[in-house]
Amino acid sequence: QRPWSPPEEVFPYPEISKDELEEINQFVGPVEKFFNEEVDSKKIDQEAKIPPETLKGLKSLGLFGMQIPEEYGGLGLSNTMYARLGEITSLDGSIAVTLAAHQAIGLKGILIAGTEEQKAKYLPRLASGEHIAAFCLTEPGSGSDAASIQTRATMSEDGKSFLLNGSKVWISNGGLADIFTVFAKTQVVDKDGAKKDKITAFIVERAFGGVTNGKPEDKLGIRGSNTCEVHFENTKVPVENVIGEVGGGFKVAMNILNSGRFSMGSGAAGMIKKLIGSEYGFKKKQFNKKLCDFGLIQEKFTLMAQKAYVMESMAYLTAGMMDRPGEPDCSVEAAMVKIFSSEGAWTCVSEALQVLGGLGYMKDYPYERYLRDSRILMIFEGTNEILRMYVALTGMQYAGKILTEKIKDIKKGGVGTALQMLASKLRDSVGRKVDLGLVGEGGVTHCSLEESAKKLEENIYYFGITVEGLLRRFGKTIVDEQLILKRVADTVINLYGMTATISRASRSISIGLHNHDHEVLLTNIFCTEAYFKNNYTMTQLEKYADENLDDSIKKVAQQVLEKRAYLCSHPLDRTF
Amino acid sequence: MNYVRKLLLARELAAGLGILRRAAPRRDFPQLQGLICAQCFRAVPARSIQSSAIRARAELTSSAKSGKEEESRSGALMPFQELFEGDRKGDKDKASFTRAVEIFCQRDIRRRGHVEFIYAALKKMPEYGLERDLEVYNKILDVFPKEVFVPRNFIQKIFTHYPRQQECALHVLQQMEDNGVTPNYQTKFLLLQIFGEKSRAIRKYWRIMYWFPKLKHANPYPVPDPLPQDPIDLARFTLQRIAADLSAKVTVYQMALTDITDAGKEITQPHIVGIQSPDQQDLLAHHNPDRPVFVEGPFRLWLKKTCVYYYILRGDPLPPEEREDVIDPERNFYCPLSLDLDLDQGIWDDEEFDVDEVVEGPIFAICMAGAGDQNTLAKWILGLQHTNPVLSQVPVVFQLTPGPDELPLATDSENGEEEIPQSQHAKQEL
Repeated sequence: QRPWSPPEEVFPYPEISKDELEEINQFVGPVEKFFNEEVDSKKIDQEAKIPPETLKGLKSLGLFGMQIPEEYGGLGLSNTMYARLGEITSLDGSIAVTLAAHQAIGLKGILIAGTEEQKAKYLPRLASGEHIAAFCLTEPGSGSDAASIQTRATMSEDGKSFLLNGSKVWISNGGLADIFTVFAKTQVVDKDGAKKDKITAFIVERAFGGVTNGKPEDKLGIRGSNTCEVHFENTKVPVENVIGEVGGGFKVAMNILNSGRFSMGSGAAGMIKKLIGSEYGFKKKQFNKKLCDFGLIQEKFTLMAQKAYVMESMAYLTAGMMDRPGEPDCSVEAAMVKIFSSEGAWTCVSEALQVLGGLGYMKDYPYERYLRDSRILMIFEGTNEILRMYVALTGMQYAGKILTEKIKDIKKGGVGTALQMLASKLRDSVGRKVDLGLVGEGGVTHCSLEESAKKLEENIYYFGITVEGLLRRFGKTIVDEQLILKRVADTVINLYGMTATISRASRSISIGLHNHDHEVLLTNIFCTEAYFKNNYTMTQLEKYADENLDDSIKKVAQQVLEKRAYLCSHPLDRTF
Repeated sequence: MNYVRKLLLARELAAGLGILRRAAPRRDFPQLQGLICAQCFRAVPARSIQSSAIRARAELTSSAKSGKEEESRSGALMPFQELFEGDRKGDKDKASFTRAVEIFCQRDIRRRGHVEFIYAALKKMPEYGLERDLEVYNKILDVFPKEVFVPRNFIQKIFTHYPRQQECALHVLQQMEDNGVTPNYQTKFLLLQIFGEKSRAIRKYWRIMYWFPKLKHANPYPVPDPLPQDPIDLARFTLQRIAADLSAKVTVYQMALTDITDAGKEITQPHIVGIQSPDQQDLLAHHNPDRPVFVEGPFRLWLKKTCVYYYILRGDPLPPEEREDVIDPERNFYCPLSLDLDLDQGIWDDEEFDVDEVVEGPIFAICMAGAGDQNTLAKWILGLQHTNPVLSQVPVVFQLTPGPDELPLATDSENGEEEIPQSQHAKQEL
């Protein structure tokens, strides 16, 4: 009867069983205690180094092998549990980044694409923390461009090893690591016989020789994390250490990068939750009123609470989806979580610092450290700009395939499809009621969320129409229209956020979690804001829209970049 | 004030009749008249009404009148020409010009013949090189007597009061406008004092003041005034103007040199200045060594009134087969670079079209040289080889048209196409 109903990965919100929850809470306790008592974040930031005792403590808690299966000595946690622990480790930015560089990208290659021998050889010691891993992909001339990688691996004459030559830059854990996942160009012979340069992934041990690292970089934030250059000079890598197959390094790199992102959501949420608990608003009084009685300060706290809620919902929804049997590909959702969380963390920490005013600016208080640490979130693990392109283009690819199917159908003479499209266009122009199975009879959301759910449905429907219009206008060439793709990505991220919050709030009310009405409030606030933002964005995407300033923006950019200067005359200039 | 004037006029006429006879012999020495008058009357205070002064003034007016009569007879501006050409010793510069104007102003309070004097001065200005100088224009406008031409009653206001003077002022302002000189507040005050508001001259001034500021920055690529004289500086400016790329680097491969060897033979070396941007360097580095590159020239470029010549190094456009259009799907680690869809851009949406878009080959470098022969340009290519090593393997074809100085001589070395397969050839020739 219903034309469409929401997918079951999203509604109801993914849960874990009671046993799993108890198990994870058992982990959470000691880790929280460790972080509150034995981690001196200020000292780590000042000395730009994590003290060895802290590292030892982390290793003994098993935090170096959270996702490594138990048979290799790790904790074998699922994605959800990994995200839960990520909330706690993110209390100190440097430690979080060290751990993430080690397991989320450093040894992920061996985990997902390694052979049994490689896993058995390396994972046990990596899990215990005896060896630390690092991920070596970026070079001075190559950030996301695979063709400009200069590091080379040449096969030796006996065919049993590769000689690795090159240097990598900005490698986290570069100075501490013993195991590196290195990506280098190798010469591969095609099936046609043509010789091509393709990327291969290698597991390189420091013990192979020829591995040197530069001095640790002096950074703005996450100063405790060791970031340095790594140089490989005639490092001999046995053939058994190739991850995947020779020439298949690109896919390995993509899979590694796409799988580690979602934990940023829970990490950022954990940090913001801690900042909300500041007592400063109650202690300070001006004009006989406490600071938290002023409207603008209250707005800031609401913003923090709302963003934290959305980040948590998105992160755990994604983690829950990834934990489903069959290991579905949630790379787009993970990218969306990363974009939203990194930008949300930056604004929330900035607002929290603002509440304290001048005190927030002083080094005596941790807010400036949190601000500096959170700035890197928008840059590493794929800059937000390129991830927006990824989200938008992957979606466009999927939508485009459906559209081409429809067009082909019409061209073949499928009158039915053509009439259907015409009819839906007529109905749209008159104004139709959207029904996507969220509200009403048999709807999957609770009735207190009816308003927000209706807004979501409307947004989704009109988003679909907008995307179809864009594909008809631009076709393949939409790849070059970054300003348009950015708007599409922003809309999708808001839609995903709305979905996650509605789903989670619905579950909260239905089972009666503590403070579920507060959650409903937060959801409604977020959904209303996102609804209007989406409408505005989609209006900007129409053809000849007044709100669309892309042409002017490009014109100004072209003029400014041509002269490489600010072009306007000084306000004090005269002509006569 | 009117009756005083009439009185003066009456006395002049009376005195003039007597002096005409005395003035007559002076007609034989028209050249000396101006100088003598100047010498005589410098000491006379301008405003005193004394009989000797009147007589002296009458003498001057008669001489001026006679001068005018001479003008009307010969049609030449005699006394004023003397003022301007009197300086045998000095060169024609601003000081002598202003002195000439001052001499004229001081020798008669009524500034007789000022209209002709102003026209003569305007004509002489280009010779002195002062056509762009605002101060000089103000000084010329200062020659007009003040407050005399201001209309004072209704009838004077309807009909153009003192039309000849107004037209003269219009000519001054027109010459200012033609030479692009923006008048300033002093010009305005002068014109107001001389002609009053609502006169034609002041209206022209307002029109100039409306348009000139608006159009001052109308040229998006202005040429500096004056142009650099040194050929290397001029070449640098021109090449940067042609290349229009801020990352392009100008290199001076050779300075202009005139040397005399021990044998007494004169060797002249023309200057060679070249420009190349990093994009052009990349294009040249990727150029297929089997295909030739061409040196063409000279091409003309006009900068106001100077014509400069430049030469280019270019390659042919690649045939469609060799153009890189295939995008590797394994190029970007983070996002796809192309969509695998069957959809093209809607025809109704493609608003980009350019009638002038012609497929042209890449241009690798541009240069300007003192001489346009093949040897000089070969030296340029050798200089380019330092930064573009691929040039040593690429055949360079010289396609030079005869330049402005070269005559079409029928000699052994052709001025047309000549191929140099390798640079060593060029080295041997040099």
